[in-house]
Amino acid sequence: MAELRVLFKDIDIPGIDTLDVCEQNGGYSALKKALGMTRQQVIDEVKASGLRGRGGAGFPAWIKWNGIPKDESQPHYVLCNADEGEPGTFKDRELMMRHPHQLIEGMVIAGYATLAKVGYIYIRGEYTEPARVLRRAIDEAYRAGYLGKNILGSGVDFDLYLHMGAGSYECGEESAMMSSLMGERGQPRLKFPHAPLPTIAGLWDCPTLINNVETLSCVPSIIRNGGAWYASMGTEKSTGTKIFSVSGHVNKPGNYEVEMGTPLMELLELAGGVKGKLKAVIPGGSSVPILPAEKCDVNLDYESLQAAGTMLGSGGFMVLNDTVCIVRFMRRTAAFYAHESCGKCTPCREGTRWMLKIFDRILAGGGRQEDIDLLLEICDQIDGRSYCGLGDAAAWPIRASIKHYRHEYEYFIEHGYSVVESKEAVTV
Amino acid sequence: MSEAIRLSDYTHVRRLNEKEPPPLRFSERAVQELERIKRHYPTKRAAMLPALWIAQREYGGYLPPEALMEVAYRLGTSYAVVEGVASFYTMYNKRPVGRVMLEVCTNLTCSICGGYEILRYLEQKLGIRAGETTPDGQFTLTEVECLNDCGNAPVMQVGNRYFGGLTPEKLDALLEELKQREDHTVVQLADTIVQVHLPESDRQEIERALAGAQAGNEEQDEQNG
Amino acid sequence: MAEQELVTIEINGIELQVPKGEMIIESAKRVGVDIPFFCYHPRLGKGQAANCRMCLVEAGTKQPDGSVRMMPKPQTSCSLPASQGLVVYTDTVAIQKARRGILEFLLINHPLDCPVCDRGGECPLQNNTLFYGPGVTRYVEDKRHLPKAFPISDYVVLDRERCIHCARCTRFSQEISGDAQLEFLKRGADMMVSTFQDTEFTSCFSGNTIELCPVGALTSRRYRFRARPWDMKSQKSVCTRCSNGCNIWLDYRPKRLVRVLGRENEAVNEEWTCDRGKFGHEYINSDRRLLSPLVRQGEKFVTASWAEAYQVIASRIQQAVRAHGADSVGAIGGAHLSNEEAYLLQKLMRVAIGTNNLDHRLERNQLAGGDTLLTRFGVPFTQTAIADIERAKTVFIIGSELVDEQPIVFLRARKAWYRFGAKVIIAYPEVTETELRFDEPVVLRYREGTEPVLVAGLLHLVLSSAEAGSRADAVWNSVSVYTPERVAEETGVSLDALREAASLLGEGTVFLCGGRVRNHAEYPTLVRTLCRLVEVTGNAGRANGGLNILLPEVNSHGAADMGVLPDMLPGYAPVGDVGARQHLERLWNVSLPAQPGLSSQAMLERAAQGQMQVLYIVAEDIAQKYHDPALAQRALENAGFVVVQDLFLTETAQYADVVLPAASVAEKEGTFTNTERRVQRFWEALDSPSPDVKPDLNIFAELAVYLGKPIPVFSAEQVMEEIGKAFPAYADCHYDQMPPEGIRWQALTRVAESREKATQLT
Ligand SMILES: Cc1cc2nc3c(=O)[nH]c(=O)nc-3n(C[C@H](O)[C@H](O)[C@H](O)COP(=O)(O)O)c2cc1C
Ligand code: SF4
Ligand code: FES
Repeated sequence: MAELRVLFKDIDIPGIDTLDVCEQNGGYSALKKALGMTRQQVIDEVKASGLRGRGGAGFPAWIKWNGIPKDESQPHYVLCNADEGEPGTFKDRELMMRHPHQLIEGMVIAGYATLAKVGYIYIRGEYTEPARVLRRAIDEAYRAGYLGKNILGSGVDFDLYLHMGAGSYECGEESAMMSSLMGERGQPRLKFPHAPLPTIAGLWDCPTLINNVETLSCVPSIIRNGGAWYASMGTEKSTGTKIFSVSGHVNKPGNYEVEMGTPLMELLELAGGVKGKLKAVIPGGSSVPILPAEKCDVNLDYESLQAAGTMLGSGGFMVLNDTVCIVRFMRRTAAFYAHESCGKCTPCREGTRWMLKIFDRILAGGGRQEDIDLLLEICDQIDGRSYCGLGDAAAWPIRASIKHYRHEYEYFIEHGYSVVESKEAVTV
Repeated sequence: MSEAIRLSDYTHVRRLNEKEPPPLRFSERAVQELERIKRHYPTKRAAMLPALWIAQREYGGYLPPEALMEVAYRLGTSYAVVEGVASFYTMYNKRPVGRVMLEVCTNLTCSICGGYEILRYLEQKLGIRAGETTPDGQFTLTEVECLNDCGNAPVMQVGNRYFGGLTPEKLDALLEELKQREDHTVVQLADTIVQVHLPESDRQEIERALAGAQAGNEEQDEQNG
Repeated sequence: MAEQELVTIEINGIELQVPKGEMIIESAKRVGVDIPFFCYHPRLGKGQAANCRMCLVEAGTKQPDGSVRMMPKPQTSCSLPASQGLVVYTDTVAIQKARRGILEFLLINHPLDCPVCDRGGECPLQNNTLFYGPGVTRYVEDKRHLPKAFPISDYVVLDRERCIHCARCTRFSQEISGDAQLEFLKRGADMMVSTFQDTEFTSCFSGNTIELCPVGALTSRRYRFRARPWDMKSQKSVCTRCSNGCNIWLDYRPKRLVRVLGRENEAVNEEWTCDRGKFGHEYINSDRRLLSPLVRQGEKFVTASWAEAYQVIASRIQQAVRAHGADSVGAIGGAHLSNEEAYLLQKLMRVAIGTNNLDHRLERNQLAGGDTLLTRFGVPFTQTAIADIERAKTVFIIGSELVDEQPIVFLRARKAWYRFGAKVIIAYPEVTETELRFDEPVVLRYREGTEPVLVAGLLHLVLSSAEAGSRADAVWNSVSVYTPERVAEETGVSLDALREAASLLGEGTVFLCGGRVRNHAEYPTLVRTLCRLVEVTGNAGRANGGLNILLPEVNSHGAADMGVLPDMLPGYAPVGDVGARQHLERLWNVSLPAQPGLSSQAMLERAAQGQMQVLYIVAEDIAQKYHDPALAQRALENAGFVVVQDLFLTETAQYADVVLPAASVAEKEGTFTNTERRVQRFWEALDSPSPDVKPDLNIFAELAVYLGKPIPVFSAEQVMEEIGKAFPAYADCHYDQMPPEGIRWQALTRVAESREKATQLT
């Protein structure tokens, strides 16, 4: 039972966020190595690593990289998703604040492999602290010739810009992020082909590689040590390590990097154990189905969690003890999605607000038993029919909570108050 | 009948002429910044979000209609489009706000770790409800969605900084401190975000351009004087 | 056109071949499968919005082994492109359920005010609910409440409660009209359509959003509460408000026009109209229409019978002709008449009275169209078909506030840019509405009046970048002195802008010239230089290039074609051309005056000096609209006798001795020829406001009888048959064989050829 640090390996070295220290610890050696490889070799290395997207969907990274057209008839772009908005997740924040050069290096390599000359890091507006760290790091990298024209004399150009959001969860969805970057309302757009496949017509209708901060941060070590090395960690289909942002009722909340396939309970222990009695875990951010304590005997990898009826998601690992009232907790979840729904498509716009209104009525003591099934049906009517994943993400947790905690709903509706005597869960 | 409604009954309906430039208030620095930022993208329109941040700073922490018009004018797009964008994002203030914004996270982790208590405490302490501004114009208190620093729950954003692990005692001290400080204000947040967009080379060019303009002005003054 | 790749797909078990990439919602129509939708619109969007989610289908792909792999989620058929082996089911239990779900969502916040909603009866939301919707709602919460219907302009009322957020209106305003005045505010369930700060919706295409809105959220102030769709009849018509010739529907109840809707014509207006078209036909209903002929008695008009009126007119004309010769009589007007009427007007003047004094032109420059374009290019005014503008590589708009002057041509020009990436150059002395609708067009802000220098300068630049060999000729000599520096100096346009513009002028450049070109003091020089520029850039014979002098009025082109000109017979044959004249003399069985008549300007000048005995003003308020109104007023005061034929007692009519009440376009039939030479039919819809109101056609024919020189006609159709003989370009325009998109007459390869052909026909 231990952390297995790849991304976080150097994170405790004082000054690793500065270029000098970073270089002394091997920073940018992967870039140098990559520039000596062919583009396809770089992509093949990523393929060999088995790296999957860490933004939530877990789509194989190399397929996206490989799918970008291999000619330069149009400009290509690399877009780093640093919008980290999934409730319960704060790993990208730490990666950017503590090891910015790792991300920058990953982006240049991605740019090299996919023929992009321009990259953007889209950071949520609230993240000014990580953004400032990145700003300084990017300026350093420019000065040292890791960015800009003719990088390290290789003839490769890559400009990297920071772009900040302004308060919208939906802008973490990749096509909405593109809209937002292009100066539009942060609503998802039709891009070709649909997510998660490689985007051939994305930013300004050009080929665009989009990856999460954590995904791109994995790249330097994969190139440095080889894809096979990375694939030797984790499980067969979920290779490498994963950072989990553990929060809620644990004694030592924080980010923990563990090998894929680590038992869930081990992660809980790493985080200092549960405060009080474990009630449930939400392992992958607010969008994934809740996992009741009795089902927590599961390993942390894409497949095992899927089999347990939930998902790895973004790794936002929220721990709830028995003081939490599920109905109130889900009301807050519903409020989040209703607030963040971009409004573009019917099911998500209307459905999320409707669910919130039902929750509010239940909490105000006006619930009816049939509301539980109505909620389930609204979930069905949103799930799979919305424009982007936000609708699905709004439906899954509520559906799962009713599945596992129906009795709490029934109790609340019957009595007008919660089955849980909770001080901490005063939510409305 | 159709004539039952008359445009003149609706005093809010004014005719706007987009052919005329609106009143412009951006400082020389702001203009320079926007010009550099525009070059980061293949289209002017893509500079929309940074331009709105510049405007939020230039107009003192929020975006009155004039600010939206100025942004539209400078990006060559319509007023309505800019308003549509500005109103989509929560961090653009559509109404005047206090000098400092206290944005308390009440999302999932924070809600079970005391976020609402923090919010209620601040409401009591400041004598306002979430969404309101103190009469002295110092603080605006709002409830926000996940700030994604859940490891430090409960968390609050103040300008360009996060404060985690909040307790009532910590808040008391913090509020006092914030009254004195200038670096976590709403305007400062906007400025921080603008600066983050500007690479070193842009910043240097801007300084040079401003110095040049300054020198030019002085020369002018000398000649005139 | 490149061959389109076809793919085989299957819809509900029916196999069919469709073009690759066609959206399935379109493919389904081919096999009669109905897929309900709200946000989809074939003309909106580079891609579709796909946001209402009503058009969901289940889809999968055929695998090599013949099995079908279904996609895990239902797909929106409006954004699902056809690809080889695609298998689609549109009516499964899951899809029926999905549709019910979507409709339930749309209805939870939709007010139940259908009985008082203008959309009732033609509302897609109502219809889809009927066919696919849930019977009951499970929604017990409060509905969204917003201020009810309020006007956002003189034409449009917005009711935000009814909006289903389909984004058709916002997409239209951003993609098609380009003014981007409608946009969504806020997000999620709070999202709402708005203009900037609720200011007035000033788009000149606002009316289209009313038709696009699938619910009653955007309705027409003019039509509001006036009628129900099932109480109305519709007739096909053509808009008369400018020379574009947009196709429209007139929706009417007996004796009353209720509203105008856009009618599809791919070649002209696609399906759009401008607001002048959609709301500018109210005059037809006016209770100030003339209802019977009026004859002056002293200071007053008294109503008269047609017989009385004709007698007065005929005797005055005959008197004038006897005493002062036929050339003491003249007619002004024609640009608002149908082709048939214009033709008859000139026949009345030439045959029944015997003068060439007739003219339809009111502008300062009275272009005959014959001049340069006709001899060089075989067309009088315009080379490019409206529909071909969208295929241009460069659109050069010069001297025109296009949005206002030619709204529908503007939409094509914008489409060329927005959809197909054409470059745009705009030359105008002031900031125009038009240039704001393009992102960073090349703007040539020249000093007023310097158009000829500007164009010469561009020609100079184009030539100097061409091979040296081609420079030595006369064309080069004509512009060699117009060096960029000099042109920049004289016009005030920067060198960079000049160079950039010149570099964009290549094959596939459409030149769109507006009022400032038409009325330039040095029009002949200007247009000659433009012609050369068109030739030098290789656009003389191209479909997606060429010179276009856009015309002002609905039938300016037709009136010129019909020879409502003092010096041209029908078909642009000079009056002095013996062959042409003889051809018509044979056709009409008369002898024609050989001397050119007086232009509008000359007639008015003469009249002002008291030298015109009779002025016959047809459907033009010259006292207001003549480029020199003061001259027109003096002329009307001092003319011996004035006949005005119009719908209203216009200011011009106040000067008349006899006023004849004419029928409106909705009350008669005929054809108009739009600015691109397209001949289009319009049909009779309403009854005239009084039995004493007559179509101009009848008036001309009857007046000829009173003049003792009948020009027999029975119908507009018959006149058109004769026009075909007089001007063979119209020979194919048989009423019963007119294709729905009308007939655009072909460029005359040689003008003489046309006349030869004409001679053979008789
Ligand atoms: C509503 C929604 C919000 C999302 N938010 C984020 C986010 O904040 N950060 C992120 O990296 N990915 C987010 N994603 C996932 C992205 O759409 C996308 O899958 C990811 O950026 C791809 O990168 P990856 O392949 O490296 O994971 C979100 C998706 C949805 C549907
Ligand atoms: S107003 Fe009408 S057209 Fe516009 S979004 Fe709403 S429903 Fe659609
Ligand atoms: S018609 Fe396809 S989603 Fe609206």
